[in-house]
Amino acid sequence: MAKYIVRRILSAIPVLFGLSIVLFSFIHLLPGDPAAALLGQHATPELTAKIRQQLGLDQPLYVQYLQYLTQLLHGDLGKSVINNRPVITDFATRFPGTVELTLAALLFAVGIGIPLGRFAARHTQGWQDGVVTVISLFGISIPIFVLGLTLQYVLSVQLHWLPTSGRLDPRTTIPSVTNFMLIDTLLAGRPDAFVDALRHLILPAIALGSIPLAIITRITRASVLDVNNEDYVRTARAKGLTERRVDDRHIMRNAWLPVVTVIGLQVGGLLAGAVITETVFSWNGVGRWVVEAIQDHDYFVVQSSILIFAFIFLAVNLIVDIGYAYLNPRIRYA
Amino acid sequence: MTRTRFGALVAATMIVVAACGGSSATPGPSAASSAAPSSAASTAASTAPSTAPSTAASAAAGTPKDGGTLVAGLPGDMVLADPSLVSDSNSSEIETQVIQGLVGLKPGTNSQLIPVLATALPTVSADGLTYTFTLRQGVKFHDGTDFNADAVVYNYMRQLNAPKSLQNDYNYYFGAVFGFGADSNLASVTATDPSTVVFKLKTPQSNFLLATTLPQFGIQSPTALKAGDADNPDPSKSPYAQGQGGTGKSMVGTGPFMFKEWVPNDHVTLVKNPNYWDTANAAHLDAITFKPYADQTAELNALQAGDIDWAQTISPTDVKTVQSDASLQAIDRGQSCNEFHLSLNNADKPFDNLQIRQAIGYALNKQSYIDAFYAGMAKPADNFMPPATEYYKPLNLPTYDPAKAKSLIASSGVPASELNLTFYYPSDVSRPYMPDPKGLAEAIANDLQAVGFTITFKTEGWRTGYLSDSSVGKFPMDLLGWTCDWAGPDNFLVTDLFYFNGSKPNPQFNYGPADLKAAFDAGIAATSDAAAQQAWGTAQDILARDLPIIPILNSTPPAAAAAYVQGFVGSGNLEEQFNTTWLNK
Repeated sequence: MAKYIVRRILSAIPVLFGLSIVLFSFIHLLPGDPAAALLGQHATPELTAKIRQQLGLDQPLYVQYLQYLTQLLHGDLGKSVINNRPVITDFATRFPGTVELTLAALLFAVGIGIPLGRFAARHTQGWQDGVVTVISLFGISIPIFVLGLTLQYVLSVQLHWLPTSGRLDPRTTIPSVTNFMLIDTLLAGRPDAFVDALRHLILPAIALGSIPLAIITRITRASVLDVNNEDYVRTARAKGLTERRVDDRHIMRNAWLPVVTVIGLQVGGLLAGAVITETVFSWNGVGRWVVEAIQDHDYFVVQSSILIFAFIFLAVNLIVDIGYAYLNPRIRYA
Repeated sequence: MTRTRFGALVAATMIVVAACGGSSATPGPSAASSAAPSSAASTAASTAPSTAPSTAASAAAGTPKDGGTLVAGLPGDMVLADPSLVSDSNSSEIETQVIQGLVGLKPGTNSQLIPVLATALPTVSADGLTYTFTLRQGVKFHDGTDFNADAVVYNYMRQLNAPKSLQNDYNYYFGAVFGFGADSNLASVTATDPSTVVFKLKTPQSNFLLATTLPQFGIQSPTALKAGDADNPDPSKSPYAQGQGGTGKSMVGTGPFMFKEWVPNDHVTLVKNPNYWDTANAAHLDAITFKPYADQTAELNALQAGDIDWAQTISPTDVKTVQSDASLQAIDRGQSCNEFHLSLNNADKPFDNLQIRQAIGYALNKQSYIDAFYAGMAKPADNFMPPATEYYKPLNLPTYDPAKAKSLIASSGVPASELNLTFYYPSDVSRPYMPDPKGLAEAIANDLQAVGFTITFKTEGWRTGYLSDSSVGKFPMDLLGWTCDWAGPDNFLVTDLFYFNGSKPNPQFNYGPADLKAAFDAGIAATSDAAAQQAWGTAQDILARDLPIIPILNSTPPAAAAAYVQGFVGSGNLEEQFNTTWLNK
């Protein structure tokens, strides 16, 4: 097992290396440059040239790439060209926000998707299955920003049930310790702010979790139905076990595998979705930061933050694969 | 078993938390509508509160109430906490509440100078080279240190000698107005006594006072600047620029509000200065929290839901929504400080022909664009700069007359083949002066086609080519505009439009006759008001004579606020002061 993990980690290196080249080329081939972002309407050709030179953008591309790679190998992710702050500092302060949001969305998707999928599977012949199918179709086909703005309009603007955006009421001040709002509010001894943070989390979590919810529901339903037809389930029923026991012991245990795989794969989708969700909900996380960096051609921020995303995605996949072995002892990695 | 129950539990918790929140949510439309909605816009325009003690602030409706926190939405985050190092409007809007200059603008106006930290406007020597300011006494910075002549000198000298790595991109405005080091037009700044500062220029510079109203020329506490390493060549290493340490450590000025904290990408909080020197104009609000909103619809939702109280800019298409909601108000900023024009490259055919350029001027129905795209919050342009600019005069530029346009095209002798125009507009942006580039381009093209031109559209991304290609003259005809830095003729006519690089005119338009350059030079170097008036008048006449590009309109980007927000005085340059704002709730 240890050998397997080491091999998987080593195989990530060429992937990340290749990705760094692709990212570098992609962002540098985009027309425009950070000078335009820095100068805005004041960008005369002369001033633009001066700033390109100050930032080292007048160097040939391969020289710039090699410099970047050397930095990376030294563990330096570079600095923002807009405000000069090290990428790693800003990433560290914003990442907890994205983790909090992504976990909440995952919790929402898993917490509702699995029971819903099981419910649909139990009533395959009934109208209930139809309703669940329609819900998951909606979930997968409505773009996040449409769903997000609609949720804001209905639940916040019209009904005043939940706040529209942000992570905490702007009138409340909580010292940043971990940058996880749910933890920081508790550390500050403010249960009222904790509830407020939780309320701020609901709408973005639903918007971001809608697609995984739909997928997890469908996969759970299909997987349960699949297992339902297995001989051992028929045997279990024939033994006279209660339906609940059959469900928990014999069906779900075997239906978990594809569901866990899909949950793991959703992490990539969630990180991508966070980019839109954070923009719509003014959520202070890495997603919104990357959007702004792309608009500003903030090269190092884009390159390095997406590399970190890729690294996280690879790590989560590895964890999922290990989780497999735990769930199904027949699977052995060597 | 526990696993399945867990899912249901999560769902139940989410619903319960949502429902609990219902009762404690911010006031809904019904609650707020009872709170005396009034059109602050119309009344605000007539009140002229000032930071100068001579003019007392008057309330927009009723007696101002003190207290409360205003949550203000901005289109983006602050960049750095030191105004000398920023040139974006978000940072400026925040920092102008905290940091004051020697002179400022009368609230609600774009070019009426008032003394702020000086007791009066300076005395200027006859040769226009020496400006002598007398300073207010007894004024203290937010860190408790004294404001005095030495502080003024320190602030100017640190920018004059800014580290090389900060020049241009960070210290943009100082470079643009004075230049750096030995190349600067600023010869010296000296304190002759604790309350007198003398500025000496190398050549006369008529924009001196108007330009120094910008927050970039505000006076900050030298003690705090030094302690916070504000002059570090790398601003990310300066605690001062990064807003660390709170009140008295970063963004330390003399204004009615003091800096409290900055959580990047999340919010900036300012609090009332309890010891503000201008007691008659002290802040009513206890605090202001500025929040960045990347998405305008989300910002409007936040305003409607009561999560924010004020939004700096809303899309003109949302003005109707805001006006129809009794709990909200749309705010017209009054005087425009921008211009929107149709750029023509005079080196390209057929734009080298004056009659063709005039024909285009007569073809455009400017008012129809204002009605369709600006919710009426704009005026057709009759000049290359907005009416509230210093030395503005009406130019009687061509107005909508399609018949005249057709006859001019006919008499121009330009062959029909040259009437096919390639028209560029930006694909992915909304600017205060150009809320819907595609829609505007189509409306303008319709008008041009109606008089005999044919149009081929081309488009590029704003930052991915449009701005840079346009600035070097790659486009024959395109849409562009400008938001003022200061409302002086030099800022619009020269910096924005027809600057010369040596004797070479701006490649964007390839237009620049010698008499225009002479008029610009005379205007910039004018040592008296009369001389400036004359020179800038001549420049405007030359531009009207040649009509190198077609000015379209001047807009006032609308703001919106909850109805209970009172006393706010908007300004076309978006550098408005919140000291007069109060909450009627």
